Amino acid sequence: MGGSGSRLSKELLAEYQDLTFLTKQEILLSMYVVSAPHLVDNEQQARSGNEHTGTPIAERANGSPLSARAHRRFCELLPQEQQSVEASLRAQVSFERILSLPELKANPFKERICRVFSTSPTRDRLSFEDFLDLLSVFSDTATPDIKSHYAFRIFDFDDDGTLNREDLSQLVNCLTGESEDTRLSASEMKQLIDNILEESDIDRDGTINLSEFQHVISRSPDFASSFKIVL
Amino acid sequence: MEENPTLDSTAWGSSNGWLAPREARGASFPSAGRSLSSVLNELPSAATLRYRGPGVLPWGTPEEEEEEDGGRSRQAFAEATQMELQDPHPSRELPWPMQARRAHRQSHARDQLVHGSGPRMDQLARLLWRSKEKTKEGLQRLQPWAWTLKRIGGQFGAGTESYFSLLRFLLLLNVLASVLMACMTLLPTWLEGAPPGPPGLNTSSPCGFYDPHSQGLVTFDTQLFNLLSGEGYLEWSPLFYGFYPPCPHLAVTYLCWAFAVGLLCLLFILHRSVSGLKQTLLAESGALTSYSHRVFSAWDFGLCGDVHVRLRQRIILYELQVELEETMVRRQAAVRTLGQQARVWSVRVLLNLLVFALLGAAFYGVYWATESTVELQETPLVQETPLLKLGVNYLPSIFIAGVNFVLPPVFKLIAPLEGYTRSRQIVLILLRTLFLRLASLVVLLFSLWNQITCGGDAEAEDCKTCGYNYKELPCWETLVGQEMYKLLLFDLLTGLAVALLIQFPRKLLCGLCPGALGRLAGTQEFQVPDEVLGLIYAQTVVWVGSFFCPLLPLLNTVKFLLLFYLKKLTLFFTCSPAARTFRASTANFFFPLVLLLGLAISSVPLLYSIFLIPPSKLCGPFRGQSSIWAQIPESISSLPETAQNFLFFLGTQAFAVPLLLISSILMAYTVALANSYGRLISQLKRQRETEAQNKVFLARRAVALSSTNPAF
Repeated sequence: MGGSGSRLSKELLAEYQDLTFLTKQEILLSMYVVSAPHLVDNEQQARSGNEHTGTPIAERANGSPLSARAHRRFCELLPQEQQSVEASLRAQVSFERILSLPELKANPFKERICRVFSTSPTRDRLSFEDFLDLLSVFSDTATPDIKSHYAFRIFDFDDDGTLNREDLSQLVNCLTGESEDTRLSASEMKQLIDNILEESDIDRDGTINLSEFQHVISRSPDFASSFKIVL
Repeated sequence: MEENPTLDSTAWGSSNGWLAPREARGASFPSAGRSLSSVLNELPSAATLRYRGPGVLPWGTPEEEEEEDGGRSRQAFAEATQMELQDPHPSRELPWPMQARRAHRQSHARDQLVHGSGPRMDQLARLLWRSKEKTKEGLQRLQPWAWTLKRIGGQFGAGTESYFSLLRFLLLLNVLASVLMACMTLLPTWLEGAPPGPPGLNTSSPCGFYDPHSQGLVTFDTQLFNLLSGEGYLEWSPLFYGFYPPCPHLAVTYLCWAFAVGLLCLLFILHRSVSGLKQTLLAESGALTSYSHRVFSAWDFGLCGDVHVRLRQRIILYELQVELEETMVRRQAAVRTLGQQARVWSVRVLLNLLVFALLGAAFYGVYWATESTVELQETPLVQETPLLKLGVNYLPSIFIAGVNFVLPPVFKLIAPLEGYTRSRQIVLILLRTLFLRLASLVVLLFSLWNQITCGGDAEAEDCKTCGYNYKELPCWETLVGQEMYKLLLFDLLTGLAVALLIQFPRKLLCGLCPGALGRLAGTQEFQVPDEVLGLIYAQTVVWVGSFFCPLLPLLNTVKFLLLFYLKKLTLFFTCSPAARTFRASTANFFFPLVLLLGLAISSVPLLYSIFLIPPSKLCGPFRGQSSIWAQIPESISSLPETAQNFLFFLGTQAFAVPLLLISSILMAYTVALANSYGRLISQLKRQRETEAQNKVFLARRAVALSSTNPAF
């Protein structure tokens, strides 16, 4: 498979289409993104010190021939033994690479997102399939159920399966900004969390579990449109 | 045991029963043995929620648990596996990583092979579901500009994206209307040979004469003037109603076209608003869950770029602070004294009177402009200068545009003084602006009606002979069409002018102005509600005018195409993301509703002219009839006997009354069903609270027992 690793096999592509909510074009695009994020970095830094994001990646790679070429380039970059398609798929990419994507770079939840989708035992690397999972959950066509499930995981900062007061206050701090002058005061935070628990904690146990969260989210029509990342 | 009284009192205390478990969750018992949280973590429900598929570590596995309770948790997970596989979910809807989903899909496929192909219904259902998905995907790909809309949504928020999505939808409606028009009016016109020319001066009729073509050589500026005001060579062209010849087939198809377009637009708008309606109707009142929504769906994950992210964070902080403040204000308002309340209400009444006065002045201005256009055109000064003539011709449009430009900022200034909460202010401003826009159009139509029917007085001097004001308006339908045509053109010109002369220079200048002035001038935002109301106004104008100016939907298609690219360019070049985010859910529910209102308003003058105003005797496909509708019974009488009887039956009371009764019964049944579901939901909620208390009580009992009996 070495030399002809120029494109994903049709079966693999069909399997990915079946197992995720992504279209064929989006899968090929994500291959391009995973293969050359260091190129993205260099280009952006070389252009100017401007923080404003350039054109999103897709504008530069909006056709499958380009992604196929990119995958070939990716395979050439890998050492000899990893040039088969399957090996390149299983290759683990460290968080820094994924976090350098412009779509994720400024996101306050980026570390949580990477931790939630990682399947490696040390929870600090993402494989390509994890990345596809990420894109699938954040895509347009994912069901609200699966979006709310993963949103709950992302907001659960201490990974204990429920959102307690600590989780909620960390969530609000992420939303408003981490620095001192952008936080809510302690009394405002307490009032806010009291109000949230009053509204969403149905069984009055002081925490919000997954089904309560999903119940609240199901009544929020904006959630599906805001829980989206488009490459 | 000494723990018993404490357990009983804390777990079953009615008033503060829910405080105790909360504290219990947070702090684990300091005693040896198992803590409350570890017991609760072993519950089957917790295990299922944390399951991530076979062979993968479950969520949140701290290292100590693995050693002690490895066996127990693995057993729980195995049970969870059984439960998961029993649900026939498609693999991609499971919240597991890719490996686990792949294994699940393979085992599912293997199971199918082993147990035979399963029941036929199952296969059929799956095939149906798959083909439905494919067609939905195909339709999605057919929609134009899908990529642009995604980019706009990512950079400027879902509210702005909803504006462009609405623009695309209206474009589709206009394209459909133009296609129908081509088939149902243009084609039949030329099918029976070239249509005749204008009647000219030599025809004599009791209803005066009609000579749309001007004599002799026309200068260039007259041509331009004719183009902009729909007179001259344009007046007797397929653009306006007067041109179409009086053949009976054309008359029927012309009328049917109007109704078909109306019905089609209604169906499409209802289809679009149903999804938004469903969410808003089924959800409980938004006030009950506003904080949760603000926190959980606040973050737009599509935002990229440090600047935008920081801006959004600032907005969220501001909104949360405002919301908390509003609650305090509301609490204060609840305890207002009588004197304070009287003061607040008197201020509100005064401001409302001011608003009514402004609106009344605006409407009077529009009315006066339309009435005096004809008189002003007669004065010799106006006849000399073509520019002045153009201005007088466009006087109603100028007035309406001016009023729509000046009054909404005044409303925005007035609203904070009334002492309502921020969200209510926004709704008030929106309602007032909407009323202004639609009502100014209604006033224009009213003054036109006044001119055409001599104020509704059929016995007036001018209207006695022919039923309409034949001296001034020999072809009144063309006049109405011309007014709508001018409104459309003027709307497009003002849009272009605002973009080119105000927004772009402002952006360019702000780069040159230093410091605070530059920043003040530079931050323009895309005001979604104002823009959407503008769109809806434009579409209402087209709906009103398309019966009298059949090519108007085609012109509107071109206009909306231009508008799309213009707004997109303006957005990306000059605007920054809005400070006050406009919720997309409001957009999806509120704007189709307003569109429906516009459609309803536009149907009133149409139906009135079809049924009540006599058509012009000298122009149009209905000349010589007593009313436009009279054509239909005539053509029905040429159909076979059974079809005639059936169609006449549809118009009788014997059909309408039972239909009304059945619809009311269905509605009452649906309302009763919805009420009973609501009651069931609150019952289940109460039950759930009790069950949770039971669970915590039992868990604490288990902990107490295990601490006294170390053998556990």
